[in-house]
Amino acid sequence: MKRQTRGRFYGVFLVSAFWAATGIVYSAAEVRVPKTAFHDVRLENGLRVLLVEDHSAPVVSMAVTYNVGSRNERPGRTGFAHLFEHMMFKGSENVGTGEHFVLIFNNGGSMNGTTSEDRTNYFETLPANQLDLVLFLEADRMRSLVLSKENLNNQRNAVQEERRLRIDNQPYGKSILEIDNLAYDNFAYKHSVIGSMEDLDAAGLDDVREFFRVYYAPNNAVVSLVGDFDRAKCLEKVKKYFGNIPSQPAAPQPKIIEPEHYGERRTTIFDPLARLPQILIAYHIPRGNTAESYALSVLDSVLGSGRSSRFYQRLVKEKQLARNAVAQADRRRGPSLFYVMAYPQPGIPVEKLEKAILEELEEVQRNGISEQELEKAQAQIRRQIILGLQSSLATARRLGEYVVKFNDPNLINTLFDKYAAVTKDDVQQAAHQYLIEKNRTVVITQPVQKSGLSGSSKPKGRGHGKQ
Amino acid sequence: MGNSKFILVLILLFVGAVDLLSVRAQVDKPASMKGADIKGRAPVNREILRVSLPRPTRIQLSNGLKVLILENHKLPTIAFSLMIKTGALSDPPDLVGLAGFVAEMLQEGTVYRTSEQIAGEVDGIGASLSAGASFGASTSRVGASGLVDDSEVLLDLMSDIVRNPTFPADELNKFKQREMADIQRQRSDPSFLARERFYNVLYGDFPAARVSSTLGSVEKVTSEKLKDFHSTYYRPNNAILGVVGDITPNNLMPLIKKYFGAWEQAQIPSDELPQLMKLGKSTIHLVDRPGSVQTNLIAGNHSLTRKNPDFIPLNVMNRILGGGPASRLFLNLREDKGYTYGAYSRFRSGIYPGPWSAATQVRTEVSEPSLREMLREFQRIREELVPEKELDDARRAMVASFALSLEQPSTVLGNWLIVEYYRFPEDYWDRYPEHVAGVDDKVVQDIANKYVDLDHMQIVAVGDELKIKKGLDKLGKVITYGSDGRRKDGQ
Repeated sequence: MKRQTRGRFYGVFLVSAFWAATGIVYSAAEVRVPKTAFHDVRLENGLRVLLVEDHSAPVVSMAVTYNVGSRNERPGRTGFAHLFEHMMFKGSENVGTGEHFVLIFNNGGSMNGTTSEDRTNYFETLPANQLDLVLFLEADRMRSLVLSKENLNNQRNAVQEERRLRIDNQPYGKSILEIDNLAYDNFAYKHSVIGSMEDLDAAGLDDVREFFRVYYAPNNAVVSLVGDFDRAKCLEKVKKYFGNIPSQPAAPQPKIIEPEHYGERRTTIFDPLARLPQILIAYHIPRGNTAESYALSVLDSVLGSGRSSRFYQRLVKEKQLARNAVAQADRRRGPSLFYVMAYPQPGIPVEKLEKAILEELEEVQRNGISEQELEKAQAQIRRQIILGLQSSLATARRLGEYVVKFNDPNLINTLFDKYAAVTKDDVQQAAHQYLIEKNRTVVITQPVQKSGLSGSSKPKGRGHGKQ
Repeated sequence: MGNSKFILVLILLFVGAVDLLSVRAQVDKPASMKGADIKGRAPVNREILRVSLPRPTRIQLSNGLKVLILENHKLPTIAFSLMIKTGALSDPPDLVGLAGFVAEMLQEGTVYRTSEQIAGEVDGIGASLSAGASFGASTSRVGASGLVDDSEVLLDLMSDIVRNPTFPADELNKFKQREMADIQRQRSDPSFLARERFYNVLYGDFPAARVSSTLGSVEKVTSEKLKDFHSTYYRPNNAILGVVGDITPNNLMPLIKKYFGAWEQAQIPSDELPQLMKLGKSTIHLVDRPGSVQTNLIAGNHSLTRKNPDFIPLNVMNRILGGGPASRLFLNLREDKGYTYGAYSRFRSGIYPGPWSAATQVRTEVSEPSLREMLREFQRIREELVPEKELDDARRAMVASFALSLEQPSTVLGNWLIVEYYRFPEDYWDRYPEHVAGVDDKVVQDIANKYVDLDHMQIVAVGDELKIKKGLDKLGKVITYGSDGRRKDGQ
């Protein structure tokens, strides 16, 4: 549901990408998760390089993950990190406008770029004999992006269409942005990755130039390569293409602190594009890759993953209050949110469904989860992690992501253990501590009939606003 | 809307031996096209990495069930996919969605397990169990996947829901409530409205026109009707079971026999498709969606059946016109004009001619110029021979991308299911690259003239009528519909 990662070509809403909602327990009798042997090297210019030899298919996947996301944006320039990502395809010293993706696709590959709150990545998969091509393309734009007003205007248009496609022309689109806006006080996470139309309009060439200089330096990036190559030869090639790109002073990173909250926040959005109401609930929780975060991820599985989950069995099947209901513990670098999203069955008042959802959360706080539920969640998570190892690209992306977000590439091998360590008590304790009223934000979407088209938003709130 | 029988044109091959087939390396002349500037300095390896498809083991049980087993030992996983050769295309006109209802209700109770028990067992081993029958498809599918150690549990569950479903009345009532909510909710989705209208104008009374069940059909369906459909069509001699995973046929076959061997065969009634109507004169169908800030555009015709020899040439032509970001529609409408986030064309093919269509979503103000550009690209590929470099790029991309599919064993298995279902020759995938290579510029032009049929093209625009109708009027005859799907002029 949440977690928008802006894809350049095909929308990527990283809902629960396997690395996100995962964890594992394994005893000797159980299937083990295969380990990934990676080599972790830093070039003299500060570029971090991660290499994994994988000869299971004749392909090579590359990800370049930059330590910049919408969290680095300033007021008045929301959406800029993502707009910039689009500019990375508009040409560099030796690569023409659009040539990057034309060459990738015409040689049988696939590629994309995505921007999230916490990082920006670019990635490709190609037949293994095109290793030089992909290294050349990525290095050239890291070294020498070419900027023009014309290209900026062109991609501004494409990004604004992306926003219309995903947000402004979709039912519930505005609600998805509103939940973060209302829940967070810190600017870094309060504003959306896609940004506002006005801020996108305001972005100029100077902004692009400055952003490139500050954030797109080798010492602010991770290159990860997974595939059918010889590691030593591959490293030589990486040095050849990337080694002489000059480093830059360390890029500033925001210190994201979410002040304590003292009351529930709530709003209702009247959405002319929607036909049924929607409930979005968010609770403030700790950052990702913490014991609490893993416990809350286990809980989101217990509540909403699979037909045996509590939400499905009780809210959808037994009480028939919801058409569907899911939960997701977000795992950001900074203060995160635990989301619940639900649609009532037609004719069921939203209040009734909301009350039933809150009762489910209270039930966890009161009585915890069962041993069987814990094991089931861990089994689901384990399988997702194993399936995620099928693709060389997924491994390349995860490695980059883990370094940029948590400075821990070995999370690819230890993620398991983190979920395995979660106990029933941890889940109950985390629910008790974080899924509470003063931590809560609620966004209700109500359909309106066609007359008023502007989609007004009326806060009506106990404790709306700061503190 | 899904795939099933309509397999999107994905190209695939698998590894057995990887060899480098040298395709005469010519020096790339820098060539620029609309929306992209090719400097030609990047080090492209002109050799195409050719791969050959690993073959599955094929076995037929005495009850007629065909089994395809593809070994893949990268991960300790297994996936079963059962294809029932009857799908939504056979839904009776007054029970639209019947095949889908049957498939979705399989998990809601069997002779041996309640709905809740099934859910608990599946989730308990972290597995997936799914079933569905996509609209427009001639097959239904049941899938089960998980870790290889759980192979027997998966087979047990899968065979139980396939062979022994009871379609309990109380579960059916709950299912109907959920289905009705979905029917209501989908009308808020502009892409649904576009699809609904497009398939309707393309197929009329032909069953492929349906894209959703209706409140009427949901109301009408009963446990008896589900049981009838199930006992008629869910038969081993009307099915193909595909398996891919970390197993060997020798280890797996005894289990497959144990769980599917006693499944009783039966006579399957033959099911004739009605005649597909010829398309009328090109028309623009405008679906009014007040407040829409974008217009969803779809333009297209009938394509072809999967067995038609034009399949591969159409694939090449489509790749050039709109098959990906390196294609003309994307480069023109997005990279050059900035009208959209994406513009693509595609086609589907099955036992009847699926649609060929081009689609994009553009901001309201540029609806007319966007459609104009699409039509211009259609005209161009019909009238002008495609330049050699562009054609060569398209053909190379199609063959080279086979290497990538080797990472997706389920896609490879899907390719073999196509061979099995359509009774293609054994070497179909081995010969695919040479067929692609044989498509020349004249063929591309002929194919474009045949399938990008401007005289009979049906165009759907979903957007704000007040703002876009005037522009569309300039491009052709416009018929307007409300978002309920009814014609505004009452006809």
